[in-house]
Amino acid sequence: MADQDPIAKKTDEELARDARAGSRRSFEELACRYKRRLFVYLRPRLGSDEDAEDMVQDTFLKLFRSIDRYDPAYRFSTWLYTSANRLAIDSFRKSAVARDRSTALSGQDIPDPAVVCEGEAGATGVWAVARTLGADRYRVLWLRYGEDMTIEEIGAVLGRSRLAVRVLLHRARTSLVGRLGPEAGLAARTPSGAARQAAGD
Amino acid sequence: MLCMLSRWMISRAEDTGKEPPRIVVRHVRRCGVCGDYARAAASLSLRLKGERSAWLAAVPEFPSGLERDREEPEMAPLAAETARPRSRRPWLALRPLPVAASLIVLVAAGLVLFRVIPRETAPSAEDGVAARAAIKTLTSAPEGLRGAIGEAESSLDKERRILESSVVSAVDYLQARLNIKIERKEPPKTL
Repeated sequence: MADQDPIAKKTDEELARDARAGSRRSFEELACRYKRRLFVYLRPRLGSDEDAEDMVQDTFLKLFRSIDRYDPAYRFSTWLYTSANRLAIDSFRKSAVARDRSTALSGQDIPDPAVVCEGEAGATGVWAVARTLGADRYRVLWLRYGEDMTIEEIGAVLGRSRLAVRVLLHRARTSLVGRLGPEAGLAARTPSGAARQAAGD
Repeated sequence: MLCMLSRWMISRAEDTGKEPPRIVVRHVRRCGVCGDYARAAASLSLRLKGERSAWLAAVPEFPSGLERDREEPEMAPLAAETARPRSRRPWLALRPLPVAASLIVLVAAGLVLFRVIPRETAPSAEDGVAARAAIKTLTSAPEGLRGAIGEAESSLDKERRILESSVVSAVDYLQARLNIKIERKEPPKTL
């Protein structure tokens, strides 16, 4: 325990402060801590694992270059996810334009990420099921339970009001409880819940 | 309707930590579906948090992307570069008229405040000789310096005499004409 790297003991905010002061090693530690978390957050929005990896890398590169803009008064994770969200939106728009062009040229459809996720959802685990709920609901669940963010912080990341975040969370929870089925004990016992589930909620 | 409201209240309690109203608590006790929902919602957060690390562990290893930036060995110069303000067009080129106007005002104010006076040149040798000659003529006057001053004062005496004679003739005329007598006042005593 005594041999542990001192950087590993530091909080995210301390590391970000060090990175701001010019420590590359601190930023690498931050990237190491967050790359998987960012990957699972961005993955449902993007078409493939490779796209998600590229997006994570772009996000870290961009943040590395603009680390001097980080305000230590805020949590690092909020800043990171906000930037990642913006980048993902930009990238999604660009790729949507490119996809429109390519489908117009080739006439082939690119598989919908939600469908891809649905196929992968055969895997067990509550998060795997959560990923089948759709990008928005999955992301809000991840920020709330994966990152332990408050409603205000989630609102800041997603650019939504507190009420909108709460409504989204409520729907995500209800859907997830419904998807989990007999285990959660909701969908199996209510005809309306089963019907909603069948309709894709 | 009450079921929907109850679930929303249960969700709200999850997010804000506020206790749901009594009516909801009573309803949850009575309604099996809402009771299941409440239990599921409560266990959901524990399950999501508990399975988080397993979910992350399933993500394959990949580089963070900072390796792409390895060409630059030091980060400090990079940060300094980004912190430096971006280069802008010269402000002179952006606002030529205001700049010209302010320059004119500055020059005018300078001229008003500081008059330009040409520096007097030092007296030449000829000027010195002329000045010395003038002093010599002054000192070599017939009665010296007093004579020169007396000469300058004589013109004043002449004027005074002319003025006095004209006043005297005017007084004579008035005495004869108006049959009155005009006397000269005593001169004021000196202190």
